Amino acid sequence: MNLGFGAIPRALAFIVLALALCGVIFELAGYSALLMFEAILEGAFLRAGGWAQSLRWGLPLFITATGVAISFRCGFFNIGAQGQFYIGAICAAFVTHLLAGAPAALVLPVTFLAGMAGGALWALWPGYLRLRSGTDEVITTLMGNFIAALVLVYVTSGPLKDPSGTGQQAASPLLPAVYRISDSQGISPAIIGIAAAVALAMWVLVNRTPFGMLASLAGRNPTMVRFQGARLWTLGLSSFVISGALAGLAGTVELLGPTGRIASGFLPGHGFTAVLIALVANLSVFATAVVSLFFGGLASAAIYLPILAGLPAAAIDIFNAAVALFITAKSGLLDRLLRMAKLPT
Amino acid sequence: MTEFHEFMVAILRSGTPLVYVTMAGVIAQRAGVWHLGLEGVMIIGACATILGIVLTGSFPAAIAIACVLCVAASVLLWFVIEKLGANPIIAGLGLTGLGIGGTALAVQALFGSLAAVTAPFGVPRLGEAFGSYGALSIFVLMMPFVVWGMWVLLRRTRFGLRLAAAGEHPLAARSVGTDPGRTRLIALASGGVLCAIGGAELAAGGLTIFAQNMTAGRGFMSFAAVIFGAGHPIAAAFAAMFFSLVGVAGIRLQLLFGASIPHDVLLSLPYLATILGVWISGRMRGGAKAATEASELRDY
Repeated sequence: MNLGFGAIPRALAFIVLALALCGVIFELAGYSALLMFEAILEGAFLRAGGWAQSLRWGLPLFITATGVAISFRCGFFNIGAQGQFYIGAICAAFVTHLLAGAPAALVLPVTFLAGMAGGALWALWPGYLRLRSGTDEVITTLMGNFIAALVLVYVTSGPLKDPSGTGQQAASPLLPAVYRISDSQGISPAIIGIAAAVALAMWVLVNRTPFGMLASLAGRNPTMVRFQGARLWTLGLSSFVISGALAGLAGTVELLGPTGRIASGFLPGHGFTAVLIALVANLSVFATAVVSLFFGGLASAAIYLPILAGLPAAAIDIFNAAVALFITAKSGLLDRLLRMAKLPT
Repeated sequence: MTEFHEFMVAILRSGTPLVYVTMAGVIAQRAGVWHLGLEGVMIIGACATILGIVLTGSFPAAIAIACVLCVAASVLLWFVIEKLGANPIIAGLGLTGLGIGGTALAVQALFGSLAAVTAPFGVPRLGEAFGSYGALSIFVLMMPFVVWGMWVLLRRTRFGLRLAAAGEHPLAARSVGTDPGRTRLIALASGGVLCAIGGAELAAGGLTIFAQNMTAGRGFMSFAAVIFGAGHPIAAAFAAMFFSLVGVAGIRLQLLFGASIPHDVLLSLPYLATILGVWISGRMRGGAKAATEASELRDY
């Protein structure tokens, strides 16, 4: 996979193609496509406070997406970010529950560690099965997502159930304000700081360490890496663990930040969107940050659409899916079209 | 004895949709496409069948609509993979997202809410003559023949050989004058029909209801059944039946033990069985050695 910036116009071309497909689907379903795109744009970026909302949804996505990018770089299709995000949030929620009453200076670090450990653990077993037994990680991580969602339902309607809940959606009790790192608006220096730290750490890891170098090589040519004497086992397993830990971190940020609790089925598209962001950004850390803001805007539009515009939130899922359908396309028709567009005829 | 019959009925009912979709996965796999869009095509089939029955009031019309839409979705996937050179895994997941989102959008557009849609009737039943099995749909009866037919098609016909050539050695297929791309198109399109039947059976075989996201990973399980069955139609069908057996057994256990085992743990049994299945087939293909080589999914 080309890891440079040259791919940006290509990515844009595919987003246009995805938009066209979305338009067809919207029209087929009986919605005006133009009106729908206008509402999405309005909800994502143009309305008052739209950018703040993009940031609120984009930062956790960014954290998860950089993790996904690491495993993809290493050649492992870890698409279980959703499950790792959930398990991370669940572990973090258990810690805050157990340590309730202790000073925040003690609780917060332990919570973050627990969240990251939970996410890492949920990525560790597919990684182990893949490297030890050749078990395909696409299936195991996908199944892991479904299992994690069920665990979340179990935890939120059992051990961590909010006794004062309305019963409409199983959820854990809202965290006390001392443990929160942001209000429900979701933008705070703490969260921005965490995202910036992740960005810096991942950039250094990918671009300035032997691990990052070898991981990117392993994705392209595992045999060569093996002949160079690197341990594919360690390399692969670490890439799984790092990506899981980051998804778990994002889950912890959601728990301690904007959401303030865990609820069954919360943020259902988070993992898939993160995979998408990593691919659109061509697995580069810097581009991931930019693309995350874009998809964060779309995620905020998914909240905006049904409430303010009276349009179904599924429109955003469809757009994301259409992008996924086209984003890895590399050759053939579209390249020819692009080339034709550049050449004077 | 009635207990046993009930158990069999439950397994057949939950396994049949899986088997049809698995057959779609098998034919795609033989042609060299790892079809991760099965989930999406299946939910389109389920939704189109129920909405078709509600709107047209006729079952044949509904299943025809479902087939057309599923074939269209499959052809879209073929176009993206074959003509645009997209990664089949990500493109397949994209198609799955399109299916889940698109069906939710269609339901909301037609009924104004995301509540489950109920159809007045479903797939025709077998009827009284079959005793305790009379409540099953005709698709259940068809299922063994479809599996057997698939085996004959893949292993005993010229087309089956062409399919295998397109999957295993596209260059060889091309050198004898067949177009592997076109062979794949036929494979994916006919897989679309099978997914439509699978989806129809899921939604209209028993309860005649369509709920948002109702496939709940069954398409991915079918995909895993293809891997578990090593692309052999009969083995894959048994793998699919095994996954649904585990699911049904889980529900039975719930009835037996009551609340002492959490409900959600039992619901996760089919997913665990799927992981087990893929793990076993990974081990059979050389285990750790395979880990350092590109996975079979990426040989394409």
